[in-house]
Amino acid sequence: MATGLASKRLMKELAEIKSKGTPPGITLLSAEDMQVWLFSIQVLGDETIYKGETFALKMKFGPRYPIECPEVTFVADQTYNAVIPIHPHCYSNGHICASILGNEWSPVLNCVAICITMQSMLASNKKKERPQGNDRYVRNAPSNPKLTRWHYDDDTV
Amino acid sequence: MKFTITSYNAVATWKWDTSSEPHKLWRYAQPDAEGSYGDVEDDEDEDDDVCGICRLAFESCCPECKVPGDDCPLIWGECTHVFHMHCLLKWIGTESSKQQCPMDRREWGKSPCS
Repeated sequence: MATGLASKRLMKELAEIKSKGTPPGITLLSAEDMQVWLFSIQVLGDETIYKGETFALKMKFGPRYPIECPEVTFVADQTYNAVIPIHPHCYSNGHICASILGNEWSPVLNCVAICITMQSMLASNKKKERPQGNDRYVRNAPSNPKLTRWHYDDDTV
Repeated sequence: MKFTITSYNAVATWKWDTSSEPHKLWRYAQPDAEGSYGDVEDDEDEDDDVCGICRLAFESCCPECKVPGDDCPLIWGECTHVFHMHCLLKWIGTESSKQQCPMDRREWGKSPCS
């Protein structure tokens, strides 16, 4: 449940999204409460290997957001025809290995900034493949990706 | 004792000086050509007037305080970044902050101006 701090910050973000919109390729799909929001992400342009694909990014906020990072995962969602992207940092259960969602989180970041980072992570990828050890990770992974100890060893994609 | 305010005349307003150029403060004390003190428009964009952590105006208080002003002060880092003190302390109090400024990830040091 979001407390004063988290819900006030999220209300601000929502108001800003409603007044200024979101960057190209990023849409807020649902924000019914101050706990779980869903964004869609597309990589625009002809250069991308994800042309025509839509991805759904779920953010789950704790009471200490934005001091603590939200739980961020890709989800498969039939309503929006969204699949989990095949990317060397995205496990098939939707967990994402990205430093800003872990040890490089900063409380000045917000939902749109997370979406932009995910969009550029996808945009810079040239080869569709799962991370090494995907199957083993997915078998043993906690449901909350924040409980995973991530190693950020590749910042080229 | 109960009383009702029927009217009031505001005689002063206050604002945190978050500019990195405090000498510009003279503007606050200079009347314009018509003798009015008017509103001081900041030439910086609006993002400079809100705390980057809670996104609330510096002139309002942090989300957990009720009264703006000295009870909910601002804090300046050596890196010149400014936050509500309460917001910054919440962040610095976490292990994941690594004691770094949320803006530039440099080690947080309190500016002597704070």
